[in-house]
Amino acid sequence: MKIALLSNVNMNFVIRELQETLSVYEAEGYGNELGILMNPASSYHAFGPEITFLVEDLMELLEHELEPESAKDKVEGWFANLEGCIKADVIYYVSDAYLWGTELEVVHDSGRKEALERIWQERLEHCVSSHANMRIFPYRHLIEEIGENQAFSSKMWYMGRILLSGEAQKSLCDCIRQRVELEMRVPKKVLLLDLDNTLWGGLAGEADHTPIKLSEEHGGLAYKNLQRVILQMQRQGVLLGIVSKNNEEDVWEILSDHPHMVLRPEHFAAKRINWDAKHENIAKIAKELNLGLDSFVFFDDNPAERALVKELLPQVEVPVFPEKPEELATAMAEIYRLFFEKAVLTDEDMVKTKQYAANVERAKLQNASGSFETYLEQLRITMRRVEPSSQVERLTQLVNKTNQFNLTTRRYTQTQLQQMLLDESRRIYLYQVEDRFGDNGVVAVIIVNLGESVPMVEEFAMSCRVMGKNIEYAILDDVEQDLLAAGFDRLRGSYLPTAKNKPVEGLYRQLGYRRIEELPEGGVVYEIEIAQAPKRVYYVEKE
Amino acid sequence: MYEMKEKIIALIEELLKVPAGTITEDTQIEDVEQWDSLAHVMIIGELEGRLGVSIPLEEAIELTGVRELLEKAGV
Repeated sequence: MKIALLSNVNMNFVIRELQETLSVYEAEGYGNELGILMNPASSYHAFGPEITFLVEDLMELLEHELEPESAKDKVEGWFANLEGCIKADVIYYVSDAYLWGTELEVVHDSGRKEALERIWQERLEHCVSSHANMRIFPYRHLIEEIGENQAFSSKMWYMGRILLSGEAQKSLCDCIRQRVELEMRVPKKVLLLDLDNTLWGGLAGEADHTPIKLSEEHGGLAYKNLQRVILQMQRQGVLLGIVSKNNEEDVWEILSDHPHMVLRPEHFAAKRINWDAKHENIAKIAKELNLGLDSFVFFDDNPAERALVKELLPQVEVPVFPEKPEELATAMAEIYRLFFEKAVLTDEDMVKTKQYAANVERAKLQNASGSFETYLEQLRITMRRVEPSSQVERLTQLVNKTNQFNLTTRRYTQTQLQQMLLDESRRIYLYQVEDRFGDNGVVAVIIVNLGESVPMVEEFAMSCRVMGKNIEYAILDDVEQDLLAAGFDRLRGSYLPTAKNKPVEGLYRQLGYRRIEELPEGGVVYEIEIAQAPKRVYYVEKE
Repeated sequence: MYEMKEKIIALIEELLKVPAGTITEDTQIEDVEQWDSLAHVMIIGELEGRLGVSIPLEEAIELTGVRELLEKAGV
């Protein structure tokens, strides 16, 4: 991973430190951060960083001019220049502001500092929301944690335009390394929780002797605060599951009625409350949610249970459990940072947790309704085509994050997809799917290239959330009919094998396509006469 | 003041990332490859920030060796 750290103050010592573990662009001097970005012939572009950190000192940027009007102009100018030269294949982190300078201490108007920082913050937020590859770098938090007396060094500033003290430089390095790590790793998806002495103190079901500890004070508050952290994680897309050895009735009583429970039944996407071995329960949940075991983190106070899960399901992450209840909430925040935090949250992340909970209800219906066909019918699935240009972020996510149901596994950047949207020879079909349990969101994409002698499906990907319901039949039918109406009588598609897309190997064959060409490395090209396509069985209504 | 001298030298070694014992009172700045102007700024700044040892700005820039640094630092 190659990175760059650009700034309007001297960060060369930080760069030197980062170079111990990372490949970091060696800036020539400092203060020309925008010039370096704008000049296509600069050594920065020759180096080719994949992530660029812009850590700016607002006071220098404002040239010590503290009038809000002129500050606005300078901030606007800086961002306009930046936005003019950003590249789609680079991730940019831009620092939020901490305004520091001795003259602020004699500014009569006590709100001035915040007002000036606000100008930067608002412009920064605007920039981040309009570019998918822009992120906020939490510089302000870093200074606040150290305190400005410790974070800044006048001596170094006067000697060499180094603004930050050794301690602050160290935090800055840590923070940059953390972000790099975040950009590279695949986050976990599910947090599995034990209950007794984990979500609350004491044992459920023994209330007559000792009520559980969960309250607004002492140890009880420590558990409540832990639940608050977990709830916030859930709201940001982390799925929650219960894996506990209890009598189910005892647990339900607490989950639904205990006045101090923060987490309620609807927050959990999966529950296994029984006396079976935990590793078996976890394996069942993985199947139910259609996720790999490497998506799970298991949190349990009992060292024997942790050791067993660790040994029998080595793909599951099993963090240590804090020794004292007062450490629970911070330990959970650390678990979030280590395993779940994502560089960006999409709207899709925010609602995903609900969709998975609905999936569990769907699975229950399947068990109850007997035949698969009846089940599909009862699901009352509807799909509709959505305008891809209004969903570019989701489109990018689907194309790049779908592994199992992905016929070609071609990856495109957001910019490339945006160009495809404008390309007359490409048609992009994007589908949203709903059923009686709720909205699954935008879950499938097909990209057809009309530039060939016969139209070719270049990309066909569907989220694993909706797999196994013949929805893909309905989708391909829809695309074929659309193309037929546009005057095309044949359609081609290919399957390119990867380590993960085995489940769709036979898809085109099942749909009545015939094999017309073998590609190297096991790929196959298929073709169909659209009018001759067989009747496909599915229970999906098109809106 | 003997202890302070050792602390200062240890801090210099830490910032330069050189093994303990590399820097002595007799060390000349120009003889240490890692001790460039950037490292020098860090050393003077951290001496003040972490050990409370303040060397006046103009004098700090002109230092040539460790003995002189210790003198200016008053130890």
